[in-house]
Amino acid sequence: MNLTLIIPEIFLFLWALLILFVDFFTAEEKKHRLGPLSLVGIVITVVLVVFSGQGQAFGEMFSADYYSLSFAIIFLGSAFLAICTSIDFARERIKHQGEYYALILLSTVGMMFLAASRELLSMYVSLELTTISLFVLSAYLKTDLKSSEAGLKYMILGAASSAILLYGISLLYGITGTTVLKGIQAELVGSAFPGPLLVISLVFIIAGFSFKLAAVPFHMWAPDVYEGAPTPITAYLSVASKGAGLAAMVRVFFGSLLPVTSEWIPLFMALATMTMVLGNIVAIRQSNIKRMLAYSSIAQVGYILVALSAASELATTSMILYLLVYMFANIGAFAVVIAFYNHSGTDEICEYAGLSRRSPFLAISLVIFFLSLVGIPPLAGFVGKYLLFLAAIQKGYYWLVGVAVLTSVISLFYYMNVVRQMYFRKPTKNDPVKVSWSLRLALVLSLIGVIAVGVYPDPFVSLISKAASVFVY
Amino acid sequence: MTLYHYLILSAILFVIGMYGLLTRRNAVGVLMSIELMFNAANINFVAFSKFITPNEFIGQIFSIFVITIAAAEAAVGLAIVLLIYRNYKGIEVDNINFMKW
Amino acid sequence: MLPYSWLIPALPLLSFVLIVFFLIRSNKASSYTSIAAILGSLALSVAVLAEVLGNPQPQEFAINWIFMESFKLPMVMYIDPLTAVMVVMVSLVASLIQIYSLGYMHGDPRFARYYAYMSLFAFSMLGLVVAGSFFTMFIFWELVGLTSYLLIGFWFEKKIASDAGKKAFITTKIGDFGFLIGLLVMFFAAGTLNMAEIFDKVHHHEIALGTITAAGLLMFCGAIGKSAQFPLHVWLPDAMEGPTPVSALIHAATMVAAGVYLTARLMPLVITSHTMAMVVAIIGAFTALMAASIGLVQNDIKRVLAYSTISQLGYMILALGMGGYTAGTFHLMTHACFKALLFLGAGSVIHAVHTNDIQEMGGLGRKMKTTAATFFIASFSIAGIFPLSGFWSKDEIFAVAWEGGHYILLVVAVLAAFMTAFYMFRLCFMVFTGKPRDQEKYDHARESPKNMTIPLVILAFLSITVGWVGIPWLKHGYGSFVFFEHPHHVAPNYILMVISTIVALSGIYLAYLMYYKGSISPVKMAERFKRIYRVLFNKYYFDELYMATIIEPTYRLTEKLYKFDLGVIDWLVNFFGDFTVFLSWIQERFDTYVVDGAVNGLGYTIRAFGGGLRRIQTGQLQNYAFVIFLGLVVFILLRFL
Repeated sequence: MNLTLIIPEIFLFLWALLILFVDFFTAEEKKHRLGPLSLVGIVITVVLVVFSGQGQAFGEMFSADYYSLSFAIIFLGSAFLAICTSIDFARERIKHQGEYYALILLSTVGMMFLAASRELLSMYVSLELTTISLFVLSAYLKTDLKSSEAGLKYMILGAASSAILLYGISLLYGITGTTVLKGIQAELVGSAFPGPLLVISLVFIIAGFSFKLAAVPFHMWAPDVYEGAPTPITAYLSVASKGAGLAAMVRVFFGSLLPVTSEWIPLFMALATMTMVLGNIVAIRQSNIKRMLAYSSIAQVGYILVALSAASELATTSMILYLLVYMFANIGAFAVVIAFYNHSGTDEICEYAGLSRRSPFLAISLVIFFLSLVGIPPLAGFVGKYLLFLAAIQKGYYWLVGVAVLTSVISLFYYMNVVRQMYFRKPTKNDPVKVSWSLRLALVLSLIGVIAVGVYPDPFVSLISKAASVFVY
Repeated sequence: MTLYHYLILSAILFVIGMYGLLTRRNAVGVLMSIELMFNAANINFVAFSKFITPNEFIGQIFSIFVITIAAAEAAVGLAIVLLIYRNYKGIEVDNINFMKW
Repeated sequence: MLPYSWLIPALPLLSFVLIVFFLIRSNKASSYTSIAAILGSLALSVAVLAEVLGNPQPQEFAINWIFMESFKLPMVMYIDPLTAVMVVMVSLVASLIQIYSLGYMHGDPRFARYYAYMSLFAFSMLGLVVAGSFFTMFIFWELVGLTSYLLIGFWFEKKIASDAGKKAFITTKIGDFGFLIGLLVMFFAAGTLNMAEIFDKVHHHEIALGTITAAGLLMFCGAIGKSAQFPLHVWLPDAMEGPTPVSALIHAATMVAAGVYLTARLMPLVITSHTMAMVVAIIGAFTALMAASIGLVQNDIKRVLAYSTISQLGYMILALGMGGYTAGTFHLMTHACFKALLFLGAGSVIHAVHTNDIQEMGGLGRKMKTTAATFFIASFSIAGIFPLSGFWSKDEIFAVAWEGGHYILLVVAVLAAFMTAFYMFRLCFMVFTGKPRDQEKYDHARESPKNMTIPLVILAFLSITVGWVGIPWLKHGYGSFVFFEHPHHVAPNYILMVISTIVALSGIYLAYLMYYKGSISPVKMAERFKRIYRVLFNKYYFDELYMATIIEPTYRLTEKLYKFDLGVIDWLVNFFGDFTVFLSWIQERFDTYVVDGAVNGLGYTIRAFGGGLRRIQTGQLQNYAFVIFLGLVVFILLRFL
């Protein structure tokens, strides 16, 4: 048993406890310093993750490989960015800041375990660690009606969907007699005709994961929760929680269910189509920018599902790359929203009028993040989408890519609506929007990411393609 | 008693839970229905463990973990329901629709 | 080092990004970042040059833009001695000019933006030089055009400046269109746009001669536009409306040289196709002579220099057309130094007297000693006086013409050299010597600050010495480093040297008589050759010619089309009038139900669709759970049906 492999997770867990502990002895007005403290913990964990080596522990339950490494970096990165965007927000609007940061870290620990697990039980437990922390976080603004409503909706639907997932898992265990992914694959290779039980179990598992991804029709919670939750948590939810869902889903489907691809690929395609169409079309009519970004992030998952329908090595590579790209662009966009909210206390798109004159840096950053989300070269989103679509084209799913490109064009519509407000409308107020150091850090890091991956993607792609090669396609 | 009896029982339990989830107005009732769905899965696990892998205890162990997690989930759930009660002066889930469209 | 050459253009790009996003409010930080980046590029360029000197074989480097087992997309760099010389030249001149701009642009309200543009320009120009495929080159080519447009119209409040920007953009675009078509032809003929592969195919006669000529000439159109050769030279003099350092960098030393660089890169095609060679040489020679003659009588100091630039670029093109790869690129290098110096000197003068008109200057040499001295050095160099750089490179071109037996072209070139010497010294004498013609301006004039004069001195030093690397007696000089196929050693031709010196000196002497001593009156000369003077003063009426033959007819055509339209519509309206009455009730319904729907179009439909779809989101928790349940059921049914 190789315990050194889980040192990063253990460290991050202890760091979360440390924050709770320090919280006890910190005066109320100094508690915002816990934010930078948790950032330090994340940076150390990144270093530990990179240097902790690879291998397996606890039988098949835990496996540190390139796949878990790249996902861990994405999770830690989005936690880092989310905490950066939280610091001012938390100081102004949140009580119990210590628990707030500790919960973010704990849910990150859950995600890291999730990406590394190769067995259904450990996967389920880490998934719950992730989501239960997020339930609490989304209801964190205690006196805010929207936030508590978001918490209730997220918690009830989340618990129900994890019960559905669990039911699917139990059936899969019944069919194959094991919960280890490799064992399941070995069992399924032999069986000639997949029975109805397998179909039901696959549908239930897909439904359970799709909830985490917010893929249509299991997306209903997302707009409400995204709107109601504290905005930094929304940013974190929209990237890390989706990433966790994807990490687990791809691990399960590409790691054990490849022998029965014909059973689930059509479902993936249906999910992808519905998600892209509904996400993009409904986003057009939104007047609240958080809600608009919620629909946009639903749509983004649709593009990822396009690639996953291909079930190839390129599909995995492009999925992880896109997640990385999406992390920078989406959290960056949310950072702008948070900066604006901290200053003016509103999320309405019409209030963004004339932002280019009030704060040119925020405005141009938001434009760049949006352009990356649309997929305009030379930004990272272009490379990401290019590879996603390429994966589908290689398998001949031209119609799916056609829908994806078409809906991408529609998406320009609502992103540009915000840009129009910022650049071509007169500002109602003239005071410049102040941006604190931590938000500025998050913005700069995201900008660098969006541009660097777009201009020179090769180093990222080559690392990620190693991650994709953990599966045998 | 064959495996199928257990599976049918668990399916019925799951559907009852689903029904409760869709129809109960009281948030605590909804939480209880979800608990039923978890327990349906638990029955599956234990039954499969007994009939499919009698020499290993994978299923039983799984169900113990599930029970623990369900307890945690219920704890957080009740806390949130309490929060809702304070803010909305009631826990009827169909009254809580401040955010829509 | 060579595989990292991509860093050379990347540094200015980084500085551009930094300035635009973070430093735009801080003038100091912006300018220092930009200068630091270009100095970094300069250091890297020198390292590249040193390495290439050691091993002058052309090399190709592919950067893996995306590289996977299943999918590869490389970006190619092509590095040979010409590339190495060009990157050093470009980054050197660019860094000097950026330093100079610290003083010149001081106090400009868009100072930071100026440096952002300068960085963007450096990025595009250096990228153009290291590009390894004509396609990549074309992308940078367009980027260079874009920055040129931005910088010409930098003071866009002046209508004349923004008009000049537009003119430059459109005129060069005509050439670029040819370039693009040439690229397509080449791609269909060779199946690739990679330079090394194309040259290989041309070398092995795998492409038909006709195709080579056609593709080559079309691509040369790009060079005509960018290097302001006849007949697309009209934009360059107008481009002088931009800030003077911009004129020095972009419209004298580097960007306009891109056309020459492209022609040099097309050398294998020029060598293969005699038709192409001839066209190139004739255009070069004609431009050299024509522009020099216009330069004789202009009164705007920057416009004289602009025509001089066109003329010198003509020289380079002429040399390349005669197969003088070494001579053409050598002159490109020396010209960059002394022409940048001339422009910066002119900028220094303009900075002092706030006018471009040489008729309002005079005697400034007494007040601006450094500027005057360096300007004289540059003038001697461009006139081709021994032993300054210009002498060696111009001599090389003459020698190529002589050896190739192109005697007519040689005579044209010598004639142009005479004119060059004359107009340069006309400028020198009128600006720096004699009595001040405008006492008030003279009194306010003052030598420019150190950050402007130091680049002048450095460039003056270079204007004297750069040419020495190509002295024909040297065994391992420029000619044995930058050459096409085999080193081309031009034997020192003493007769030509003597002739060219005599020609240059006589041009200077004539200018001396007319504008220093005043023993020949320029006014009387203009009277006597009234017709010629008027033609030259009006730049051969090229602008008017284009106005009359292209722009006016286009306007008239559009007007006619418009009228034709009106007529047709009137006719149609009358014709369908009765028809409409007859079918009015059908049409009414058609309008209401079909046309309206179509007019409001797709956007409306999508919006309405979105409006409908969002109603699903009722806000009711249990409806959401129901959708999940429905999803489950539908999916299961989907799999079983």
